[in-house]
Order: sequence, then structure tokens, then C-alpha cells
Amino acid sequence: MELSEMEQDALKEFFNMGLGVAADSLSKMVKKEILLSLPQLAVVSHREAVNLIDHKDDGKLVAVRQIFLGELCGTSLLIFPGGKSLELVRTLLGDDVPLETLTELEQDTLLDVGNVILNAFLGSFTQMMTVEFEFEAAEFLKADCESLLDISAHRLSCSQDSETDTSQAFFLMMDFKTAEDELKHNSLRGYVVLLFSKEAMVTLKREIARIIAGL
Amino acid sequence: MPQKTILIVDDSSLARMMVKNVVSQAFPQWEILEAATADDGLNKVKNQPVSAALLDFNMPGMNGIDMAAKLMELDPKISIHLVTANIQETMRQRAEAMGIGFIKKPVSKDDIVRIIGAIEGGQ
Repeated sequence: MELSEMEQDALKEFFNMGLGVAADSLSKMVKKEILLSLPQLAVVSHREAVNLIDHKDDGKLVAVRQIFLGELCGTSLLIFPGGKSLELVRTLLGDDVPLETLTELEQDTLLDVGNVILNAFLGSFTQMMTVEFEFEAAEFLKADCESLLDISAHRLSCSQDSETDTSQAFFLMMDFKTAEDELKHNSLRGYVVLLFSKEAMVTLKREIARIIAGL
Repeated sequence: MPQKTILIVDDSSLARMMVKNVVSQAFPQWEILEAATADDGLNKVKNQPVSAALLDFNMPGMNGIDMAAKLMELDPKISIHLVTANIQETMRQRAEAMGIGFIKKPVSKDDIVRIIGAIEGGQ
């Protein structure tokens, strides 16, 4: 399925609006400015999706996944490379919490944070659309880049029974980092990724056409 | 009353269309200039004076804050507003410190009426 230049432009702009609101939530939590990249949109295979994530980060990635189902279905991922998730947990819980406790609380804290950020993000991403959807419970994932971005591992289809064509997915990504990251390399950064199936893109194309026609 | 001009700078053509639509409906007498990059916007202003400029922040190349600084050097009388999805407090403060306005995306008709109304009321 091809996306016209205008459709790609619109999706990137909606993503930009979504992450703007999400970054505001995150910024309030960590009391630091969050710098945002330009949105990237690609129709990708699994291999290409993996390559889009920065490979400077060896080892495990930590992610919060939130699946949304309804008139628009897809998967949203908030991904932290390497030990960056612990940086976030430390920032939220304070420097005097022992590392062991931080590690114990990592999952619960990230689920809470991920839920807030991904809800803010998707609410804003779809604010001009007329689609209704509901969120599944947020899930905590720890995996390498290959497994995390394995399109077949995510539920992209609305229907659990129908076989989704997972050979291609629409992949939207922006990365974020705290302002200090410009100077030192141990502060918070991560990615927000949206994965849509071809089926969801039909809905998105229809919504974009409706929005543009109303201008 | 001489025709006034507003400059809209945003790398997203959808975002420019949305602002253009609001301006042309509320103030059809205003001329609209648009640019997809800060550099293109600055070139346009050198050729044609503008009364107001609405600048996106997150663009490839020069960002909206840096462009605002250059615009102020070119013509300090331009009413400049940052139009951005990045609604963090630091961004608002940066705009405020420069003496430029801050508008959250998507732009509403109320925002445009307030900005252009203030310019028309001030003449």
C-alpha cells in the first residue's frame, strides 16, 4: 500500500503532535526539558525496523507496549535502550534509593510512566480523527532489538482470528532525550514507535482524507 | 488600509494548510506567504515585508526559535509566534524570554483572531 506525500506528511505531523504532549508529561515527571527529533515514517520489513533503531545500544532494550483496539488498531512502544530505563526510575524515585530497590521497582514504575506517556501520545495523535479505540493493559517487555521489533510478535490486527499480513508494517518513530544528553551521555533517552498493519492504514488514510477535505 | 501579510513557516504541508485555512477564513484580506524551511521563510521576508510570522519549532535545518531571532534582526516590528506541538514549559519560557508568542498545535481560530486582531487593533 502506497502512501501519498500528503498522507505521509499528515501522519508525521500527527505523530509530532502526539509526542509533543507525551514529552510534556515526561518533562513534568523528570523536571527536565525533553528534546525531540523529527518524525520518521517508513513502510518496513522486520529487518528495516530493527535497522531504524540506533544500534549503538548493545544488549537488552526495555519497553512498555500498549496495544490499542477498536476502529483503529495498532501497537505503541516506548523503548529505552540499555540501562536508560533505570536512569528514568532513579530520576523519579530519587538518588538515595539503592540500586537493588530500583531494579525491583523498575517494572512497575515503567509501566506507570509508559501508560501515562503512551496514552497522552495516542490521545493527541488521534485528536483530529473520529476513530474510537481502547487500550489494552500496558505490558513490560525486556528483549533485544531483533525480538522487540519483530512485527509478528505484536498484535497489529483488530481481529484476533484473522491472519495479519506481518510481512510489512507501517513504522513511525521519534526519539527523545533530556537536554543534558547534549553534554553527557548518561542521561535519559528513548524512542516512541507506532506499528500499524495495512488494515489500520486503510482507516488512517480515510481519516486523513476526511481531515484534508474539511480544510 | 494597506494589505497586510502573514508568513507561515512549517515543514509540514498539512500544518501550513491548517493555519492558512483559519487565516483565510477569518481574515480574507490578509495575504499569506508560506515556507517549508526557515531559510526559505527568511528569503521571502527579505523580498516582502510581513506584519506577522507563525513559526514551527521542530523543522529540518534551522529551528523556529533561531529563525525568530533572525527575523527580529531583519524587522523588529514583526509580530512573531512560535507554533509548536512541543508544549513543554521550557519551550514557552524560551519564547517568552525572546518576547515572542507561543501557540499550541493544532492552531485554533481563536489564536489567529487574537494575533491578527491585536495587529489590526494596534494600527
